[in-house]
Amino acid sequence: MNHQLELRNVTKAFNTEEGKMGALEGISLVVKPKEFLCIIGPSGCGKTTLLRLIAGLDYPSSGEIILDGKEVKGPSPDRGMVFQEFSLFPWRTVLKNVEFGLEIKGMKDKARKELAERYIELVGLKGFENCYPYELSGGMKQRVAIARALATEPAILLMDEPFGSVDAQTRNILQEELLEIWKRTKKTILFVTHSVDEAVYLADRVAVMSARPGCLIKCLSIDIPRPRKRTSVEVNEFREQLLMLLSLERSKACISV
Amino acid sequence: MREKKGLHFLKRRGIIEIIGISTVVVIWQLVASFIVKKTYLLPSPYEVFFAFYTVREVIPIDIYISLLHFGIGLGAGTAVGITLGALMGGFKLVDRAMDPIMEILRAIPPIAWIPFAIIWLKLTHYSAGFVVFVGAIFPILINTYTGFKSVDKIYIDAAKVLGCKKGMSLIKSVVLPYSLPYIAAGTRIGMGIGWMCVVAAEMFGASGRVGLGWRLWNRFYALHMMDKLVAYMIIIGLIALLLDRVFRYFVEETTLKWRKGMVAA
Ligand SMILES: Nc1ncnc2c1ncn2[C@@H]1O[C@H](COP(=O)(O)OP(=O)(O)OP(=O)(O)O)[C@@H](O)[C@H]1O
Ligand SMILES: [Mg+2]
Repeated sequence: MNHQLELRNVTKAFNTEEGKMGALEGISLVVKPKEFLCIIGPSGCGKTTLLRLIAGLDYPSSGEIILDGKEVKGPSPDRGMVFQEFSLFPWRTVLKNVEFGLEIKGMKDKARKELAERYIELVGLKGFENCYPYELSGGMKQRVAIARALATEPAILLMDEPFGSVDAQTRNILQEELLEIWKRTKKTILFVTHSVDEAVYLADRVAVMSARPGCLIKCLSIDIPRPRKRTSVEVNEFREQLLMLLSLERSKACISV
Repeated sequence: MREKKGLHFLKRRGIIEIIGISTVVVIWQLVASFIVKKTYLLPSPYEVFFAFYTVREVIPIDIYISLLHFGIGLGAGTAVGITLGALMGGFKLVDRAMDPIMEILRAIPPIAWIPFAIIWLKLTHYSAGFVVFVGAIFPILINTYTGFKSVDKIYIDAAKVLGCKKGMSLIKSVVLPYSLPYIAAGTRIGMGIGWMCVVAAEMFGASGRVGLGWRLWNRFYALHMMDKLVAYMIIIGLIALLLDRVFRYFVEETTLKWRKGMVAA
């Protein structure tokens, strides 16, 4: 198994009161194993929808999503997800949240605790194991969510604007931690973001989406060696390219309205 | 804001409360002994205090029996209420099938079940227990239902992505813990109603010649011993208060640490 993910002409429409509303249109994409792919696009263009389809929480209206040669038929712990909104179980402590997936797997108490503690340490929250989510800040909550998603050791990690609710400083730190985790655990990461800076700093490849109904307008390989410097010339060039693509997209959207 | 120095001692815990209670007792005593002047119409605190003393021997057994009735009814009400509420909250079909029946049954005051309680269960502890059951079950059922219905989808999704398949494991690991505060709040309301039902059912002699309610009505009221009657009223009230406090303490301190204040008054 090399965990290759392939989307073939994926379309998604929602049934609403005003009839069918297109959210995604004809998305075709191959994500290589161990790739760090960022997805960027205007608000409401269907980024969350796309991740939910890959996670198996929802189904495409047409087209197919293939993982390891098999069609995705529902959620599975081989695809972890970090949600855009806070999703920690408020009735569980940090430790118990991270242990959740392992409990479902039927792992024994002691092994479970050890593994969970390892991931809590990995996201830099050692010492907070027995806190409840309401005692944590927004950024800490997202880190627990990341630890929880990592604990079941999924081959693919789907991250939906995980750093959207933290300040710039913390965000930079979290980005670095994430790259570190990615290097160490060798996962495929699909990372949704609003931020061009974030995409250029993190990604091997950036997929740019159009406004609703979302389709892919461009996939851009960011071939800058890591560690990247946030202010280097190459980074700036990519940033400009992406900004231009997005602003073109925005004006197009305005015309079509 | 700065207060006058002379009133400062009032701020200490309990002082104001004691003053409040004492004032009421003093006024009650004055009204009883100088205005009403008839024990039959209004026994004075002094008389009530002595009444406690004269009936001291039957108080423990009456409390025990009433708590037994209460326990039977609340136990059954909790078990059945949570089960039915969960089924109705979890399955649309069950919900639609049961909802009309539940609405009608719920509208019948529990007291109206006393005749059938006696006919079906004879003069046993179970028959007062049954009335408590009818009183306690609906708030528990409805709250469990509401809890099950209002689970945030995000928690379900998160659990699914972490490997929770549909059905029992989802209910056990997400829906039930999420609903616990609702269930606790329902149980608390059910306890209040259930305790009223105990007294009423015993007054009607649903369980024979036992219990706080039975003695209050069939002994003290029947023989016009109003001082003892008031003593029993106070006991009944204090027990209700105590039950509520113990429940709140237990629930908030142990199971619901994660959601402080949810079941608070
Ligand atoms: N369950 C649903 N039912 C109906 N419409 C939906 C549903 N989920 C999403 N949509 C619609 O699909 C479109 C895409 O939504 P989505 O949440 O994927 O956007 P997004 O790109 O993640 O936006 P943001 O960046 O603001 O998070 C939106 O217009 C939204 O209104
Ligand atoms: Mg989104």
